[in-house]
Amino acid sequence: MTIETETEDTDNVNIFEVSDVNVYYGDFRAIRDVSIDIEANEITAFIGPSGCGKTTMLRSFNRMNDLIPTARVTGELKYRGVSLYDKRVDPVEVRRRIGMVFQKPNPFPKSVYDNVAYGPRIAGNVSKGAEMDDLVESSLRKAALWDEVKDRLKSSALGMSGGQQQRLCIARAIATNPDVVLMDEPCSALDPIATGRIEELMAQLKDEYSIVIVTHNMQQAARVSDKTAFFSVEVSEESDLRTGILVEFGSTDLMFSNPTDERTENYVTGRFG
Amino acid sequence: MTEELRKVFHEELDAIKNATVRMAGRVSEAIVRGTDALLSGDLDAALALIENDDAIDAMSIDLEGRCYQVLSLQQPMASDLRAITGALWINGEIERSADLMSNVCKASRRIHGKTIDPIVRGLIEQMSAEAARLFRLSIDAYNEGDSGLAAALDDIDDRLDELNEDTVEAIFASHKNTTEPDLQLSVQLALVCRYYERIGDHAVNIGERVTYIVNGWMPENTGAMRAAARANEDKGEK
Repeated sequence: MTIETETEDTDNVNIFEVSDVNVYYGDFRAIRDVSIDIEANEITAFIGPSGCGKTTMLRSFNRMNDLIPTARVTGELKYRGVSLYDKRVDPVEVRRRIGMVFQKPNPFPKSVYDNVAYGPRIAGNVSKGAEMDDLVESSLRKAALWDEVKDRLKSSALGMSGGQQQRLCIARAIATNPDVVLMDEPCSALDPIATGRIEELMAQLKDEYSIVIVTHNMQQAARVSDKTAFFSVEVSEESDLRTGILVEFGSTDLMFSNPTDERTENYVTGRFG
Repeated sequence: MTEELRKVFHEELDAIKNATVRMAGRVSEAIVRGTDALLSGDLDAALALIENDDAIDAMSIDLEGRCYQVLSLQQPMASDLRAITGALWINGEIERSADLMSNVCKASRRIHGKTIDPIVRGLIEQMSAEAARLFRLSIDAYNEGDSGLAAALDDIDDRLDELNEDTVEAIFASHKNTTEPDLQLSVQLALVCRYYERIGDHAVNIGERVTYIVNGWMPENTGAMRAAARANEDKGEK
């Protein structure tokens, strides 16, 4: 089934509507009862300590958890009004619309050009030379990489710097013309200058795409995002099991200047171990 | 899970607050001693207080630098961010209050040897006591994070505003029966009233910052609210 979007592009459209979502790995419940609405053309940041389930939540948005045999999602997770985990929904189509950028830059061991062209070629919607050239160029331009690589499109992507590789992965993700870009700690392997370029890029991309980013860097969340969700870990007293929960979600301005929940306050001020 | 992670940073935040309160203590003292110098015509005491203001300026500059240091190195968030930006504001209010007492001392030199009307004199004593009380309360509110007390300061300040009006009226009244009014004396005394009245306003500002530090509420500003209302009206018309 292809995904028909229910809404036209207007302001304040929810790209994701999550209600009472639980994600299990086997018997272990990684996140519990998360409900959150994510708006289109905004940057939403997920922050929280290790093991709080923020990456698990992110991976649920493009069904990356399907690739883990024991993973199971309950509750409702809607993308533009369509239930993402409906049996009729094709996960490949989901991942074309909802792209992902990972923590470590992971370009294919191919040329710069072929990395960007890979997705469109597989999707089969663009194949001709000139058309593909245009798509590769526009994707690299959007990823703020074109000027640096236009003379070495045929050389291996593995010869690029870490920051360039990550921008190449962003170019690769947007080449298939997605609607959403998920980013899982995209700057944690990069130096401050490369990080700055990715942050700048995110601000440019949000006009066209909705972005959800998981980050360990609170200042980064504060700098780049419009809304922030704080996840935390709840430890069961009886079983010592740890479960991720959503503590607070709101405008980034408020989350970092005057959060409502004491647990958020303790985390962002570092009064939390 | 509740282990303190940023101990050195939070100790510095506490130290900045303590130093701010200590600086305010010196200003509290200056209000009382400055008024004594004015009313007793003690030039040495007035000079000592003017010099004391330099020391307060030095404390203020030092504190400001420490705040910038924390902002740039620690990137504080949430209540820490409010604590440090609040300290910067309050620092300015305290420093300005000290300047005003320095002005009182300078006025006392200009009117040295002149006789102050007994009613005006009494009112100045009252204004000084009220300004000192208001200032001390604002610093108590800051020190203890007492947003209730902070919110009450604006009302308490009404008393000082009334005294200010009374004193100006008394200055006029004291000239009723004179054919040659002493303009220098009158102008200086009117300015002195104004200085105390301004100290009260600074105390109210400190209270607003305390409210922000404690609750995260930005101070209500009637001017800003009027501007927003006008902007909304304009939008409605279009």
